[in-house]
Amino acid sequence: MAGRASNIQLWQYITAILLIGLLGFHLLERVPWIWGLSTIDQTLTAAFVYHGYTSYGWALLLLAYVALFHGLNGVRGMLLELRQGRLYTTTINVLFWIVFIVFAAIATLTVAKLPPY
Amino acid sequence: MSEGEVAEKKNSLGFWRSSINPWAVRTKDNPERLAFVFHRISGFLIIAFLLAHILETDSPVWSQLIYHVNGWTFWNHLMAIEAGLAFRVGEFIIAGAVLFHAPNGIRLLLSEFFGVGIGRPGDPKPPYVPGTFTASQRTWLYAVFVVWIALWIFAGIIIFT
Repeated sequence: MAGRASNIQLWQYITAILLIGLLGFHLLERVPWIWGLSTIDQTLTAAFVYHGYTSYGWALLLLAYVALFHGLNGVRGMLLELRQGRLYTTTINVLFWIVFIVFAAIATLTVAKLPPY
Repeated sequence: MSEGEVAEKKNSLGFWRSSINPWAVRTKDNPERLAFVFHRISGFLIIAFLLAHILETDSPVWSQLIYHVNGWTFWNHLMAIEAGLAFRVGEFIIAGAVLFHAPNGIRLLLSEFFGVGIGRPGDPKPPYVPGTFTASQRTWLYAVFVVWIALWIFAGIIIFT
């Protein structure tokens, strides 16, 4: 992706569509009554969280990738509105990809190397 | 400085003035502008939270590498800290940001990406009210604010009880 304004906004819309389902599900994970629990703390126990990772870790990982891209791409779009210039644009684009790759790698590590409960 | 440069400078409001200032100055009778600024502020809050959240959810992995402890014991320790009031208030603020950003994002998807609810183009006639201001997207915008507050109250019940 060259970082053109039209591409940046197009990817915002595509990732937003994906986020409706993925983030919607993730938020429902924290609604205790759906899971027969009574408090949000019970949805954050090691056992409950580990079960989530083993059952639908792929969905959580996909959510991390899509949310990271959407959020960082939004910041990139705003920063590119601030000022223009080849060096500035390249710097913002490179920083965007570095932060995205680092945090996507951490998210991947979470699912791939999660210790057994 | 030439006239062209002066005009360019005048229109170059900069990031904060173009983002924040319209909230205070140009939102009168313009809920779309209010939603625009809320969308940006909530987006900033969410991306800041997301980066911290990824590090937090990876704690069962990195705590083993750094502190040589059982990863899930460290997780439980972290959750006990986050059960405090300060973190609850923080979660409530983030919940508010997400619960505005998502419904408003759906409205933007419908109106900007799919092009529905924005009315039809027509000849300008007095009093020159833009067609989009009387189209369905304006109703959806009011619905976004209502849904946001309702869901935020619901989230508050979950977080604080």
